[in-house]
Amino acid sequence: MLPPAGRVKATLVSASSSDLIPLVRKLESITQLTGEERQALESLPAAIRLMQPRQDIVRDKDRPEHCCLVLSGWTYRYKLLSEGKRQILSFHPPGDLPDLQSLHLHVMDHNLATLTACRLAFIPHEAFRDLTNRFPGLGAALWRDTLVDAAIFREWMTGIGRRTAFGRIAHLFCEMYLKLHSVGLATSHRCELPFTQVDIGDALGLSNVHVNRVLQEMRGKGLITLQGSRLVIVDWGALSEAGEFDPTYLHLRAGETA
Amino acid sequence: MSLRLQPVQVATGSNDAESQLVFEDGFLVAVLVHLSDEHEGDAGKWYLEAGFGRVDSPDPPKFADLNEAQAWINQRLS
Amino acid sequence: MFEDPFLRKFEFAGNLSEDERTALQLLTLTRRPVPARRDIAESETGDRVYLVMSGFACRYKTLSGGNRRIVSFVLPGDLCYMHDSGAFARDLRVGTLTQCSVVDIPRARLEELIGLHPGISRAIWWVTLRELSRAREWIVNDTRPADRRLAHILCELFVCLRGIGMADEHGFDLPVSQTDLADALGISAVHINRVVQALRTRGRISWSNDRVTIPDVQGLKAFAEFDPAYLCLDGFGP
Repeated sequence: MLPPAGRVKATLVSASSSDLIPLVRKLESITQLTGEERQALESLPAAIRLMQPRQDIVRDKDRPEHCCLVLSGWTYRYKLLSEGKRQILSFHPPGDLPDLQSLHLHVMDHNLATLTACRLAFIPHEAFRDLTNRFPGLGAALWRDTLVDAAIFREWMTGIGRRTAFGRIAHLFCEMYLKLHSVGLATSHRCELPFTQVDIGDALGLSNVHVNRVLQEMRGKGLITLQGSRLVIVDWGALSEAGEFDPTYLHLRAGETA
Repeated sequence: MSLRLQPVQVATGSNDAESQLVFEDGFLVAVLVHLSDEHEGDAGKWYLEAGFGRVDSPDPPKFADLNEAQAWINQRLS
Repeated sequence: MFEDPFLRKFEFAGNLSEDERTALQLLTLTRRPVPARRDIAESETGDRVYLVMSGFACRYKTLSGGNRRIVSFVLPGDLCYMHDSGAFARDLRVGTLTQCSVVDIPRARLEELIGLHPGISRAIWWVTLRELSRAREWIVNDTRPADRRLAHILCELFVCLRGIGMADEHGFDLPVSQTDLADALGISAVHINRVVQALRTRGRISWSNDRVTIPDVQGLKAFAEFDPAYLCLDGFGP
């Protein structure tokens, strides 16, 4: 069963063999795959959907039967709080499986939504289980990916409790650039980050007023340029120092760090 | 650099109330709160309740007296 | 058999076979004491996973200037450094808050057991996803006012310690300092003191001689907006 049509205002397209390459690239950024494993990943059954920006893909308390793979565009996870506030928990570029855990934990405890227009692949849980049974190495890689996910949450938490606003935003920019770089979607310290200032604030526990001030300051100091969603990290050394950014927690394979 | 202090009461939701607004050239840069007996070893110290701009700190310090607090604030501003 | 917090925790994920229980018990035969306020990792190569069998520890990160954030408490039966890949000098660390008893598990041995035993594999996924869901809840908790945030963490400790038989109906031993709690909440030492006083004054908790008492557990849970679902104590859910 696909997610209900009412929730996912989407166009269904059939998958072709090259569609799932972002997943291969993603797993290869954290582990080495055999030819057989690659092939098994690429031939996973999937329904491809196109979705508009800012639509919920899966909601709190849902029981999804598919894992969602981001093929293009950005998704994010969030939780709605009392008084209509929103806490963004993570941003997911192409190659991520933002609700992989629904394989094991059946009830969602947060929402998953598109940030931009997205091309998404929905892979049945059954097919994933079958895959990890046949290829324990892939099961281990997905487990690793999940552990990295937890490590990213903990870095955010460190930021929210103990970094300055400047440090938090610097850390986020470094993290996002490296994630994109590791799957071949960014290079030379340039990337597309389609977040609004409100998104950044809701992720890092800051008001958008505060975010705006910090971005101005970063520009003024010549650390970044930001035009629309085009981010250029002009001074990687200074930005990563300001955020005390250490990529160890991303557990990327050697050669993937900036 | 000269700082100007102005005594106020701050509603911290605790017994810590006696406080000082700290101005530099007419700009409010910090709020210092005098810690009450509730804080045992820290009682009597001055705590950076809020700092603005460069005086903002994710790990707000405590000071033995107002001179020490002003020296620290001056250093952040310079 | 149930005194073993490790097995007890793993069985939340589903039943283990006799073979699986035995294999897990064999893992934990050799323990070493770690004094309070030390890192539990001995090896820097990432070839081991560490299991805390008694005592309180925490996962933390220290930023320059000595500013520490505790991102979770580690209780008896918890595995640590599962996601470690070697040179982690500045990655998150695990440190003891009280004296602990720790088991060093060779990473290769754990991976072997995961491959051999479906029940252990399921339990490891459960532990991993539960940590993930707990991390999300802590991020959400950071948006709450400090008094509710503290109440939430105390509710979490209460429920987790109950799960391994280390809390009674109305309270538990919490031999950690106020500074530790401040670092777990991401607030200053001055602020935590005010918040603890406020919860005491309103009769929500008492805390003396390392013992936390919660006179009205349901009341405190409601005040903290605490919903234990994120702790996944019903295994993998219906």
